[in-house]
Amino acid sequence: MLNNNNLKICRRLILRDIKFHKGQYLLSGIAVMLVCMLYTFTLCLGNLTYDGFIYSYKMMYGSNSHILFYDLTPAQAVKVENHRMVRESVSLFTLGTLHDEMLGVRNVKLAVVSPGWAKETASVPLTGHMPREKGEIALDEITMNSLAIPHEIGTEVSVTWTQTADGSERTDRFILCGFWENRMGETETCAWVTQETALALGDVLDKLTLGVMLYSPTDPENQAREILSDLGIQEIRFTTNLACNEARKENAGERSMKFYRLTLIVALCGLLLLFQMEKLLAGQNIRFYGLIKSLGMTPRQLRVLSAVRAILLSVTGILPGWIAGFMICAFVAPHVMVGMEENPAFFFLKIWPFPAAAILTFLTVFFSCLPAIRSAVKNTPVEMLRYEERDRKKRRKAGRRRTSLFLLALSGLFRQKGRFVAASVSLLISLSILCCIQTIAASYDETKYLQERSLFDYRIADASAAASMQRYNPKSRSITRSMYEALAAHPAVREIGMVCTMEVPMHADLQDRAQIVAVFEETDENGIARKEHMADDPDWMTGYETMRESGDYIGIVTGVNGLTLKRAVTDNLLIEGSFCEELFATGQYVVAAGSSSTLKDTPPAGSKVTISGREFEIMASVPWLPSMISGMDSKEAQFNVTYFMPVDVFEELFPDHGIRNVAVNIDQNGQDAFEQFLTDLLQDTGADVISVKDHQWVFHNAVFHSCMIPFFVGSVMLFIGLLSFVNAQMMGILVRKKEFAVYESLGMTVRQLRRLLFLEGVLYQGAMFLLVIPSVAAFTYIAGQWWLAHTNVWCVTWQYSLTPLWLTLPLLSLISFAVSFGFLRSVTKESVTERLRIFR
Amino acid sequence: MEVIVKANGLKKYYGKGETLVKALDGVDLEIERGKFTAIVGTSGSGKSTLLNMLGGLDVPTEGSVQIGGQELSRLNSEQATIFRRKQIGFIFQNYNLIPVLTVWENIIFPITLDRRRPDKKFIMEVVQFLGLDSRLDTLPNNLSGGQQQRVAIARALASKPSLVLADEPTGNLDSKTSDDVVGLLKVTGSQFRQTIVMITHNPDIAAQADRIIRIEDGKIAG
Repeated sequence: MLNNNNLKICRRLILRDIKFHKGQYLLSGIAVMLVCMLYTFTLCLGNLTYDGFIYSYKMMYGSNSHILFYDLTPAQAVKVENHRMVRESVSLFTLGTLHDEMLGVRNVKLAVVSPGWAKETASVPLTGHMPREKGEIALDEITMNSLAIPHEIGTEVSVTWTQTADGSERTDRFILCGFWENRMGETETCAWVTQETALALGDVLDKLTLGVMLYSPTDPENQAREILSDLGIQEIRFTTNLACNEARKENAGERSMKFYRLTLIVALCGLLLLFQMEKLLAGQNIRFYGLIKSLGMTPRQLRVLSAVRAILLSVTGILPGWIAGFMICAFVAPHVMVGMEENPAFFFLKIWPFPAAAILTFLTVFFSCLPAIRSAVKNTPVEMLRYEERDRKKRRKAGRRRTSLFLLALSGLFRQKGRFVAASVSLLISLSILCCIQTIAASYDETKYLQERSLFDYRIADASAAASMQRYNPKSRSITRSMYEALAAHPAVREIGMVCTMEVPMHADLQDRAQIVAVFEETDENGIARKEHMADDPDWMTGYETMRESGDYIGIVTGVNGLTLKRAVTDNLLIEGSFCEELFATGQYVVAAGSSSTLKDTPPAGSKVTISGREFEIMASVPWLPSMISGMDSKEAQFNVTYFMPVDVFEELFPDHGIRNVAVNIDQNGQDAFEQFLTDLLQDTGADVISVKDHQWVFHNAVFHSCMIPFFVGSVMLFIGLLSFVNAQMMGILVRKKEFAVYESLGMTVRQLRRLLFLEGVLYQGAMFLLVIPSVAAFTYIAGQWWLAHTNVWCVTWQYSLTPLWLTLPLLSLISFAVSFGFLRSVTKESVTERLRIFR
Repeated sequence: MEVIVKANGLKKYYGKGETLVKALDGVDLEIERGKFTAIVGTSGSGKSTLLNMLGGLDVPTEGSVQIGGQELSRLNSEQATIFRRKQIGFIFQNYNLIPVLTVWENIIFPITLDRRRPDKKFIMEVVQFLGLDSRLDTLPNNLSGGQQQRVAIARALASKPSLVLADEPTGNLDSKTSDDVVGLLKVTGSQFRQTIVMITHNPDIAAQADRIIRIEDGKIAG
């Protein structure tokens, strides 16, 4: 008998309720949309961060293949290809590896053209074509720049390489038929030749490299072993894709986790927002639930009713939430994954964040509805029907007093304290977050950053030193003397200078050696010998130990003039000695540059050094400025001492040298003309330009990157706070429709009502400001100071800023009065009698 | 005669200490099936509280209520609600109409909740009797107080409950309509062997009852 429930009625009731209270549901729909937008944004961003890192590892590895098997015979390769774990494969016949110290840490394989492999590793020539004829070669641009090969099809290229077959080294000449810009394979790539060329070079093409894609790359390292073991060829060498490496996956996971962690904050924000909205409607909802419960709706039906309501609310907000969230992600993504041509949000687009966001949104909505439904299930219908009466009874203890508009307004404020607290919480949290972020963002010191990073308006780098991992090749001629002179002659150029470098073996006598060794053997304030800080750089350690034991080291002799001389020496901090430009110009002196502005890790001022057979006196020592020079030096020169000398003296010593960098300061009025000139001048040279604007962009991007997420969350929370504030104000008036009618029936004029609302607004804002201003100011100061004490960012200067607070408060006042008077007009439209008859 | 409603030591207290209000203070009551009982008393004497307790809309602080032999406190919330909607028709003092549903939907709402088919013929008779036949598609907000009262009465009778609890059902009606409503309640009561318990301030209506119960300060005075 006691088991009959119609659940369809729930849907009908909610649909009618939505039709009846469109305004309220519209606000709720916007709130749900915001919540879904936040979920979509954080999940999409987390996903693209993870995929982005994995992608960058693939780029480094130079292949999309999960495993690369080396030195397989064609028969073994066929067996591997047919293994049950292997989905697809690409093969490569490798003749050997390019051998040139200028290639630095890069591994360039000389290989027979393999279209599949080339496609897989993005090494298809974009200029020219793949080798078709005997003697042709196709190369990537980084290799060409490092080997000082001009970007011209038909150029004769001399390549030194080590043969895989016997390990012998040989040099051969080829004709450049194509080249491509590196999008992948910064450390690993191929130099393509035809099969005919390979056979002519004496390779019998009996060994190949096989790249395989697995069906399920869960543990490629062990899967590779299993494949080899199954086929009985355990001796075969293999490597696995960096993107499949567990540690790297873990690293990518950690990076993306910070965005996924945000979903927790989003859940809290969402719950707070929706809970606030529910709280504002609590009286109305609980009375409604009480009413239908009194008519026979069971707790189970009430629960279903609540779930249906949550579903319908979610459905309205999910689609716009998805779109808005993804669009914000598309806007932010290029700042998170810097350097991609495509927008990372589209490039790494996956489906799963969308259903996940929808489910999380539904759960958030459902949980926010729970308090009302719990109350409906727990309480008797009479208790629920008297929900608001109960509050009124509590307020009856005010005592006897004379009534005035002010006292009425004050009592109105106390009656709305629940709504007041609910709206204040979001504003308090959001403004605290925003002011903290504003303080942090303002504390990032652009001037300090540019002083350190951008010594010149423009720094032009030779093609062989364009990338930070490229070793500079002094034979490279992408910047010629005539180009330098053309630049110097440009009317916009105010100052110009060049940097030429040469690595020279040098010897430190016992006295010089003692000064340098003393610095690195000395312990720092943490009790650690300074050299230990370099323990993770074995090349530096080797160079240092060699110098300590024998006195031999590599000196980086650096020719500077004009602007570069000024920055490197004249304007630089002197650690030891003094600088005299006239004496320096005589060519008998050099200035030594050490690694730090406080340590004397160079031979002392006044001592003599011999460079390429010529003796110089060290005039002074200065700290070395890393941003003055681009590219890398050889691994033997990782421990070095830099010696600055005039360019003309450098040219006398090293007549066959190139120009590593050119530094230019310009008159800003001629900026556009100069940049156009620069573009034309450097066209097809491979030379790279970094301007102060690039540094500014990097700085702004870094600030944006570090502040974006909390700023976004804070902004959305502020919006939520404002929405709650509007909602609280609106509901504060709408639910008092009957009360205002009573006042009017007793003789209160609309003007007096307006004054009442004005007073309420003033009291409401006053109370809110009293709560918000000191709390936000204190929180921002404490949190900002804590950040300043713990940050490892070097370019910061404390700037306390409450700008978001000062911008928001007037806006709140404006909203408050606009809503009050706007809705008062709406609620007093009907006659007093009509309003007195309202029962819900 | 068979007893349909039985209350033992019924108490309902609100508040604590100095603010303690004894809305009901030990009520023992038996009502026979098919009888028309009127509850009278001054405002705040506990009439509505008693009716709410008898209808299972509120829980007593102490004591028990049995309807047709079923002790209400033994039922969980789900069972109590279903029991109430099947066995009891409640006419609320403030009507308790659902504003988002039309008059017809309001009348059949408890039946719909129970997934039963409404007896359209019977309901239309009641509706015509109450003069609501032209207002069936109207929303409650567009009705006068008297019309809303009549919708509440029609809703209580629509499911032909064995017990009708009415909290001043004629409070907003003119004397002729009031007489007609009481007449209707008596007719349906005898036709379906319904028990009617009605709160009223109107001595003429109370006089038509089989029994009058007077409540004073939360106790039965006579």
